[in-house]
Amino acid sequence: MKGKSSLAGIRNLLLPRPDGPDRVDASAIPARVLFGPAPKPAADQSGDDFVGFLKQAYLFEDLNHGELTRLARIVHERTYRDGEYISEQGKPGAALFVLRNGVVEITRRKRNGEEFPLATLDPPASFEELAAMGEVVRWSSARARGPVSLVALGRSDLDALGGNFPHLANKILKKLVQITAARVQVLVEVQYFSEQEQEGEA
Amino acid sequence: MTSSDEGVIGGLLIKSVVATTGLLLGAFLLWALRSLIVPVAVSGLLAYVCRPVVTSLERCRVPRGVAIGLLLLTFVLSALFVVDRIRAIMPTETGAIEFKVRALYAINERYRDLMQLDSTLAKGNRLYQFVHADFDPLVNRVNQLLALAPQERSQLLASHSGGANTQAGSDSLLDEDRVNLQTFDVRARTARAEERAAGSPRLTAAQAPVNKPLAVLAQILSTWIVAPLVFLFLLSDTGEIKRGLLSLVPNRLFEPALTVLADLDHALGDWVRGLFLECSLLAITVAVLLAIIGIPLRWSIAIGLFAGATNVVPYLGAAVALLGGLAYALLAHEIHPLLPMVTTENLAIWVIVVVGLAELIKNVVYEPLVLGGAVKLHPLVVVIGVMGGAILFGLAGVLLAIPTICVFKVLVSSAARQLKAYGLI
Repeated sequence: MKGKSSLAGIRNLLLPRPDGPDRVDASAIPARVLFGPAPKPAADQSGDDFVGFLKQAYLFEDLNHGELTRLARIVHERTYRDGEYISEQGKPGAALFVLRNGVVEITRRKRNGEEFPLATLDPPASFEELAAMGEVVRWSSARARGPVSLVALGRSDLDALGGNFPHLANKILKKLVQITAARVQVLVEVQYFSEQEQEGEA
Repeated sequence: MTSSDEGVIGGLLIKSVVATTGLLLGAFLLWALRSLIVPVAVSGLLAYVCRPVVTSLERCRVPRGVAIGLLLLTFVLSALFVVDRIRAIMPTETGAIEFKVRALYAINERYRDLMQLDSTLAKGNRLYQFVHADFDPLVNRVNQLLALAPQERSQLLASHSGGANTQAGSDSLLDEDRVNLQTFDVRARTARAEERAAGSPRLTAAQAPVNKPLAVLAQILSTWIVAPLVFLFLLSDTGEIKRGLLSLVPNRLFEPALTVLADLDHALGDWVRGLFLECSLLAITVAVLLAIIGIPLRWSIAIGLFAGATNVVPYLGAAVALLGGLAYALLAHEIHPLLPMVTTENLAIWVIVVVGLAELIKNVVYEPLVLGGAVKLHPLVVVIGVMGGAILFGLAGVLLAIPTICVFKVLVSSAARQLKAYGLI
């Protein structure tokens, strides 16, 4: 029961219904779904407190204050200039990122070299989560749009956390799996509904 | 050439100059502060080994500061226990005097037999003619170290002459002391004659100036005082050093650097754990094998522990076990071996055999077993590395040659792999 309701919550969070005045372009929905929860309004953020910021991230929302403090000691704060690549398509991934300030654009390069945007992320969205779970080659690029600061959690950091504080690492990994599974599920759903809608229109 | 090209070239030139200056400055500092390398490296490795213990305590909800305090308390208590045990097995003053007499007698007799020396102790067999220039000063030095001071001789005579409490063997002990005294005189006369023949006073080992022990101790303490500070600093670090290092790395190198650091951490961890296991296994093997050939358990364990501890330097563990075993074989009057064919006369040969066997077991069984996952180095690299380290940095070089080579090897291979994967080279 709990699983169902939580899935519904995630679906709502990840996939806003396109019936309001701020309806999302249907073609952008699958891409949006892939790259994280809908951005929260800036008013939700509680000042500059780093631990408080981590608590806002969907990925770390299950952690208590002590665990967040421990996590804050091992993550890396990075800043990027406008247009700088955070991660690049075709390169190996070794860390996941949580956006703290600024806007990040997710793009994918076509075979002809043309780059098209997939999504635009605002704080406290996370991206490249798969890189924290295992060795991956990235299939999209993340680029800073304007000055960006973000928090990186390396795969090796998560591995070390698993060895030293397995309970904490477990909570993060469970959340990573939840996010990944929910995204796949919602993506399939979107694809299915999209096809049905197209058939209905036809 | 456009102004933009000139700017790029100028930038590259400035970067090259800065990098070269940095490298030179680093090399100069490394050389100038080389006396601090051993204390810093040893305390760093110790902190690396102790870190999992502190983390385990932290996992049990013990605050990190308290965990470090508990660890230090355990160290202090262990050190006190070891000192207490050493004091307990140390011979009494009379026992030490007796040991010196018997050891000196045994060494002189075996040297005389081996070299077939005449009564002047200046002529011997061919072996003596070949090695006497190197061995005589050594034996003279041993004679001077083990010779009894007048006060010690009076104490020996008082405890072993006449009375109802005279112990068995006192006569032989006093005889041995008399022989030692005669040998010492003969050696001193021979040394003086050699000096006269040489025309100028030759500095013999017996006359070599002895460094002032207090000055040496003060020098050692002044450099090692940094060790506990480094140990505490590194142990209380919760990742700030790594994060600080990574914060200096440009963004495009962040993920490769993260992976390289992880590779280094794994390699160093595997090496430290493997080395600790290998040293422990070597210590047990040497102790057991020496006990089997008749060296008393107490001394077998002591030699084994010392060999295990010094095995941190490749091949030094076996050398220490060999020296310790041979020293005992030289001094032993009677032994109780488990193997019937071992006697006092051939004990030295058996020591060589069992130490060789222990080294063989270490190389063939233990190393593949416990160091299998760690960095593998060719034996030639090990030997040249240790010798090169000794020439460049002395003891520091000997101790740290292998970990440095391991770190360098992993650093280069991992960095090359990552830079290639990220398309940076």
